[in-house]
Amino acid sequence: MNLKGLLNSTTIADRILLFILILLSLSGIFFIKEVLPKGQIVRIEINGHPVYLLPIEKDRIVSVNGSEGNTIVEIKNHKVRITESPCDNKLCIQQGWIEKGSIVCLPNRVVVIIGTPEDESNKRVDAITG
Amino acid sequence: MSQTRELMQSQDKYRIALLSAYALALHGFESLLPTPIPWLRLGLANIITLTTLILYGIRAALMVTLIRVVLASLFTGTFLGPAFILSLGGGVISTLSMGIVLSLMPRLFGPVGLSLIGALFHNSAQLFLAYILFIQRIEAILLITPVIIFLGTLTGSVNGIVSDMLIKNLKKTDEKIQN
Repeated sequence: MNLKGLLNSTTIADRILLFILILLSLSGIFFIKEVLPKGQIVRIEINGHPVYLLPIEKDRIVSVNGSEGNTIVEIKNHKVRITESPCDNKLCIQQGWIEKGSIVCLPNRVVVIIGTPEDESNKRVDAITG
Repeated sequence: MSQTRELMQSQDKYRIALLSAYALALHGFESLLPTPIPWLRLGLANIITLTTLILYGIRAALMVTLIRVVLASLFTGTFLGPAFILSLGGGVISTLSMGIVLSLMPRLFGPVGLSLIGALFHNSAQLFLAYILFIQRIEAILLITPVIIFLGTLTGSVNGIVSDMLIKNLKKTDEKIQN
């Protein structure tokens, strides 16, 4: 079967439908991420226990009490940083603003993670189709 | 009169059994093929569903789909499981959608267009079922929907072309037999 035969066996409606579906799905692939809310969450843990779950959209400053003292975490413009820490090396403060990933302050046992709500909910297998 | 009717019915049964066997074989063959993406399925069985629909009507196509889905799940041990529900929902909705479009507008779409409609509704039904039954996170479903619709469009058009060739060949053989 050649291309001409193939074209003859399809109706105009077939071709329009194919064109629309490809156009819609391809533009959907590229634009759906922009439409969806980012919904990222800043999680602050002390000794592995989450103490704060904060939306990244809201600017605020929180103080958490680690094993050595108070660590101050600042959320601003969808970014997170640690402004004050009782530790010696201050590596967490030097890391500055982050948009993704995490800041770990080992001496004070404070971990700040930026994640999605999905990370919080179940991680088991949803379904297998057949 | 009643004799010819009985003959017709037994012929229909024979046809449905044969077509279901073909669909089942394609379904099984497809599950053996390695695919680059785990949830990508070619939907080869839809070639048989579509051919049945165009040649013998919506009832025969529905029967073939139901027999195929139930038997395939019995063979693979997924009967009444989540995979079975997704498979059944997708199969029935796609057959119904193709049948309704064909009966409402018989001349508008050819096999390729019908196959595209079937693929679209198959995927939409499965996404919807997956959402209400298993995943319940609308963002995850929305994120994956265009990718699945796109892949379904590609496989759907290929299946439509194959179905078109199959129907033409079957008609040719029929004419030969009648002559």
